[in-house]
Amino acid sequence: MIETVLASLDTVFLYAFAGCAFLSAALMLFLKEPMRVALALISCMVFLGGVYGLLGVHFIAAFQVLIYVGAVMVFMVYAIMLLDPRDESMKVRYSHFLWPGAVGYVLLVEALAAGVMNDLPGPPRGPAGEPFSLKAFSEAFLSEYWLHFELTSVLLVAAVVAALAVIRVNRKESRG
Amino acid sequence: MDKVQVLLLLATALFTLGLTGVVIRRNVLVMLMCMELMLNGVNLSLVAFAHQLGEAVGAVLVFLVFVVATAEIAVAIPIVLLLVRRKRTLDLEAFSDLKG
Amino acid sequence: MGLLTLIVLLPLLGFLANGLLGNRLGKTFVSVVGCGLPAIAFAVTIKVVLDLKGAGWAPHSELAFVWAMVGTDVFEVAFWFDRLTAIMALIITGVGTLIHVYSMGYMHEDKSYARYFAYLNLFLFFMLLLVLGKSLLVLFVGWEGVGLASYLLIGFWFDDIEKAKAGKKAFIVNRIGDAGFLLGMFVLYSTVGTLDMPKINAAFGSAALPAVSASLVGLLLFIGATGKSAQIPLYVWLPDAMAGPTPVSALIHAATMVTAGVYLIARMSGVYALAPEAGTVIAAVGALTAVVAATIAVAQYDIKKVLAYSTVSQLGFMFVAAGVGAYGVAVFHVYTHAFFKACLFLGSGSVIHAMSGEQDIRKMGGLAKKIPVTFATFAVATAAIAGVPPLAGFFSKDEILLYAFASEKGGGTLLFAVMAFTALLTAFYMSRLLWLTFFGKPRMGPEVEHHIHESPPSMTIVLVILAVLSAVGGFFSVPHFLEPLAKLPALKGDPDQLHHFIVGASVAIAALGIGAAAWFFAGDASRAAAVRGRFEGLFKVLYNKYYVDEFYEAVIGKPLHWISDKIFLRVGDRFLIDGTLNGLAALASGVAGRLSRVQSGSLHLYAFLVVAGLVGSLLWVWRHG
Repeated sequence: MIETVLASLDTVFLYAFAGCAFLSAALMLFLKEPMRVALALISCMVFLGGVYGLLGVHFIAAFQVLIYVGAVMVFMVYAIMLLDPRDESMKVRYSHFLWPGAVGYVLLVEALAAGVMNDLPGPPRGPAGEPFSLKAFSEAFLSEYWLHFELTSVLLVAAVVAALAVIRVNRKESRG
Repeated sequence: MDKVQVLLLLATALFTLGLTGVVIRRNVLVMLMCMELMLNGVNLSLVAFAHQLGEAVGAVLVFLVFVVATAEIAVAIPIVLLLVRRKRTLDLEAFSDLKG
Repeated sequence: MGLLTLIVLLPLLGFLANGLLGNRLGKTFVSVVGCGLPAIAFAVTIKVVLDLKGAGWAPHSELAFVWAMVGTDVFEVAFWFDRLTAIMALIITGVGTLIHVYSMGYMHEDKSYARYFAYLNLFLFFMLLLVLGKSLLVLFVGWEGVGLASYLLIGFWFDDIEKAKAGKKAFIVNRIGDAGFLLGMFVLYSTVGTLDMPKINAAFGSAALPAVSASLVGLLLFIGATGKSAQIPLYVWLPDAMAGPTPVSALIHAATMVTAGVYLIARMSGVYALAPEAGTVIAAVGALTAVVAATIAVAQYDIKKVLAYSTVSQLGFMFVAAGVGAYGVAVFHVYTHAFFKACLFLGSGSVIHAMSGEQDIRKMGGLAKKIPVTFATFAVATAAIAGVPPLAGFFSKDEILLYAFASEKGGGTLLFAVMAFTALLTAFYMSRLLWLTFFGKPRMGPEVEHHIHESPPSMTIVLVILAVLSAVGGFFSVPHFLEPLAKLPALKGDPDQLHHFIVGASVAIAALGIGAAAWFFAGDASRAAAVRGRFEGLFKVLYNKYYVDEFYEAVIGKPLHWISDKIFLRVGDRFLIDGTLNGLAALASGVAGRLSRVQSGSLHLYAFLVVAGLVGSLLWVWRHG
């Protein structure tokens, strides 16, 4: 019994993490305070990182935590802290599209369930392939996909310039 | 049910929840976070497929999505700050100046 | 490059030089180039004629270049020089050069001096192409080209809307005729298989006739000729063409271009020899045109209008000669007419010049003493056209009357009577013009009278030369010269007797016409006024040119206008085309108006629409995919 549980401990954790991630995501729709929503998202991301780790892609798990939680979400939290908490919108939760959105959600799930789930590939025929190593990933990334790599760096530069430009425009306007 | 299928279901759930959040939430920052959630859903599906097929391509795409998400936030947050400075609110319904 | 090509290219060179550089290099340059190159062309033509004479008048052919090769058919730009070409080329370059020289004085004040000479040279180029071309194709290029040049020259003062309209009218009316010409060419090419005129004539002359009626070809080509040579029903452009500068009227609408139709028929005489029906039509149209135009000319007061209708009438004479098979005689009249009509037009230009631009002969009178050279030359030319022996017009008109009366190919008493009456009218209205202009009391205002002056030498010398040619030109018997090319038809009856009768009749006619005019218009022309008063209605009809322009307007212009307006404009253009476009535009803007409501500025709505679209497309794909 214990052996069975231990042998399938990976799977159990995987399901547990997945469930927690789903719950955190669902919470995001219902929490009122942006800060709480942010915390829910962070937890969701961390659980996803756990899932990645359990799948054996540890470097993606690491980057999930580092980039998403460590950079993006920290940035987001700062932004929330910068803003005025007395703002009315912090208290109002939903837009006018609550009900249409809810209906849309149901329909979307229905459509996806009707379509995607039926067409999903079944359990892999034969044993799942060896999880690819970090070495294979790095080689593929820097030799085969070098162009995409470079393009993303260009994208990042563009984003930095754009952010600067937005700030600059703002300064000009406030001066004028 | 297979592990991969569960993960794909989760990915779909995250994506649809994020999309719905964009539609129904009023706060701009919350909407942005919901979009992050959608990206996470996509990432998860990529990782799941990569895991099933044993290919590194999926992981490469995940990294690209990371970068895109970072760039998006880097531009979006200043814009949000500007919007707030203009109207003193994060309520998106206050911003409908581009009405056709 | 052969000499024939050189003749053609010299005026073209002048056109290019004057057109491109004339405005920059000044009037001296323009004059030297504009008059010099045609003069050189004239000299070269004389040289070619002398060479031809030395070679026993054997036709000379010269290939300039091969234009196109279609299958086995070769279209080449080749030139052809025989007796007929010799006469035409000499007239065109000779009279043309004289008119160029005259223009130097006449157009001296004009601000578009270079443009004028460029057009004039362009006209000479196309006209030479027309008469020198060996194939109908080259002839047609020249044919269209002179149409273009005449359009440019008639509308030379295009800032006057009336003159620009006259240019358009000439161009459009000519196009109608050209349609017939083109059809004739198509028929010839599809049946004979060539457009080379010597070959076509030979084909119709040979035992194996081409499988096409010569009458059909002849009539189609004649339709083209009625346009270019101003015959009924397409003559209406010529009187209006007087809107151009007077030397242009002299060059184009008297001496050269309008004779192109006569030239065409003389050139294609091999075809017309086999087409008696076509000949009858040509003679009938020519006679009708001659008499109609002559009656109109009697009632005109504009000095150039009188001359214009006189030209139409004289062209009728030429076609009558061509219609009864006397092609040489027709060309003879072309030749004499070129001299005296050019002299008359240039003389009228000199009169207008002296009268400070006045063209109404009711306001002239008594000019004989004030501008004696113009008067003397004008009188000689008038006598020539009236048929006073031994001036040039006498000989050619005498021959025409002879063949109209007694040709084996359609001559007859009726034709003769009509032509004799027309000749009488010709003598009458020309003398009337002479009397009203140069004799009697001056009727112009003192201001104008004060300014009357003789024209500069460059104009008067030309007038004198042309007057001399009008006087002695008839002694060169063109019909006899052209006999080897186009045999004159046989005469019904004894030639000597006929000759005596016709000569007597001609002289009597001329004397009667001139005498009547002298009697009517002597003094203050009171007798003429009395007659006019009695036949007021008739005079009005004649003065208004039988209302032909109004008739065309009502029969062709109005219905066309109506169809264009009601059907093509309202139904076709406004309803179908505009309606379609406006409808599409309205549809687009209507839909856009609806759709722009979607553009509410609400980001939530957009996101919701994304959801809706996603759901819709997913469902659709999985239902139908």
